[in-house]
Amino acid sequence: MSVVLAIDTATQVSSVAVASETRLFAELTMQARLTHSETLLPHIEQVLKMANVEKEDLDGLAVSLGPGSFTGLRIGLAAAKAICYALKLPLIGVPTLEALAWHYPVPGVRVMTLLDAQKGNAYRQSFCFQEGHMEAMDEITVAGLREVAASCSEMNGPVVLLGDVVPKKIAGKLELPENVALAPPHLVMPRAACVAQVGLRKLAAGEVGNVMDMEPVYIRRSEAEVLWEKRHPEAAEGKAAEA
Amino acid sequence: MTEKKDQKEILTLGIESSCDETSAAVLRGGREILSNIISTQIPIHQKFGGVVPEIASRKHIVNIMPVIDEAIREAGVDLGDIDQVAVTYGPGLVGALLVGVSAGKSLAYALEVPLVGVNHLEGHIFANFLSDRELEPPFMALVVSGGHTALVDVRGYNEFRMMGQTRDDAAGEAFDKIARVMGLPYPGGPRIDALAKEGNPLAIDFPRALEEKGNYEFSFSGLKSAVLNYINSEKMKGHELNKADIAASFQHSVIEVLTHKAFEAVAEAGRNTLVLAGGVAANSGLEARLREEAGRRGVKFSYPSKILCTDNAAMIACRGYYQAQAGLFSDHYLNAVPGLTLTDK
Repeated sequence: MSVVLAIDTATQVSSVAVASETRLFAELTMQARLTHSETLLPHIEQVLKMANVEKEDLDGLAVSLGPGSFTGLRIGLAAAKAICYALKLPLIGVPTLEALAWHYPVPGVRVMTLLDAQKGNAYRQSFCFQEGHMEAMDEITVAGLREVAASCSEMNGPVVLLGDVVPKKIAGKLELPENVALAPPHLVMPRAACVAQVGLRKLAAGEVGNVMDMEPVYIRRSEAEVLWEKRHPEAAEGKAAEA
Repeated sequence: MTEKKDQKEILTLGIESSCDETSAAVLRGGREILSNIISTQIPIHQKFGGVVPEIASRKHIVNIMPVIDEAIREAGVDLGDIDQVAVTYGPGLVGALLVGVSAGKSLAYALEVPLVGVNHLEGHIFANFLSDRELEPPFMALVVSGGHTALVDVRGYNEFRMMGQTRDDAAGEAFDKIARVMGLPYPGGPRIDALAKEGNPLAIDFPRALEEKGNYEFSFSGLKSAVLNYINSEKMKGHELNKADIAASFQHSVIEVLTHKAFEAVAEAGRNTLVLAGGVAANSGLEARLREEAGRRGVKFSYPSKILCTDNAAMIACRGYYQAQAGLFSDHYLNAVPGLTLTDK
């Protein structure tokens, strides 16, 4: 059995958990308008204390890698890297949307994860729980919310939408196909307990990251880069040819 | 309970990520640099003509651990020997600061050592303690960086009195803006400094603001506008720009204001030492003029070596060491404060 510390700061939710394959020892999940920068480390200390686990006894640290808020992801990853470096712990990068999908490990249900990508868009990926695994049914893309809602009608069977845009921009605001349900507040946001479960599976499979070069999964480039390439189409093409 | 370590042997790990440099350093005692690793992003931001905050933050999160690891290895110490962690928490770019703050806090927690949040601008002043190991307070400090211009009477290691600071644009901002308009590549400050050497500083009479006696505040927005207006009107007239003369005259105007106010402050506070601090301290014209004036007035003048003028973690570790000496630690709720300023202490 392994015990991991898990962190998710990809959205406005700050979530920290200590868990093993068979037990969630403790979890602190908050969305109270305090910054991750202020609260993350005190939360880590408190959750370990509540779980009665010494940091030296951890077998790994699982961190939600994105996509999500760029700044939030970096706060979580910087903390995770520093703790793993000092305690010589395995660092496990967990895809945020895959962890989020673990709220619905139900065969036959399409789990559509959606996290805010600004300007009416969301980072989206859909999953289906099959034979004990959360299988990704497609790649992560950035899509308009109306487009996502419309695409759900083409899916067979029930679809559940989850992620921060559901309460913010979908519930009561968008017309939805009949096969679509919205996750309730306690299952709609990322939680570290889910990150821990995905992390433990990765740890068992030896899928451990490197403290020295792990990066968040941004999906999107910075606006400055996009703008620069618009203004310098020749250079952008050259780069594409190189790649 | 282990025996209390000799203060001269205390190892401070410094971390700095406020702008476009990721840096980590190990200091023994308050003054001895064991390592000072700086990973600069200047080449990455060059094509954008300035620092792009999101790109800077993305580089910091990749560079932070290799830089810290290299600082530990080059210092020849074990991570477990580190006695305290000092980290810049402002001023600077918020996304950039947060990477260092988050890593620094978490390291302090994992190593079970105290954390010290450091004001980057105070760090610049303390770079002087590393360059001149005999330097002791009290002295007057002229802080000239990209975002700040200030005169600080350093009365003790943790006792500062603000004589005055910038009301609007900092000197460094004016340098960057004017360089951009003249088509000089980023970063503009060193380019103007180099160009100024070839020009006539008295060719164009640019204004000097707030020169009245006893006023230690700075204002460079008027000067900036005057230079930009001059460039525009020359262009309108179809004249070829004499960039060297513009650079020399602009720099002359900045330097005269800084020099005049700095020595007036030295005299008023009754100090016999003036130190220069901040990124613009690397400006050779400013350094030469202050040195000349100090010689004439019999005031001791010092400024950090070039590498310690740039954003670096050794100066943060040094500031952190002296804060720790006075018990000025931070808790684990420490947050980045992008608009942090210098204040009386």
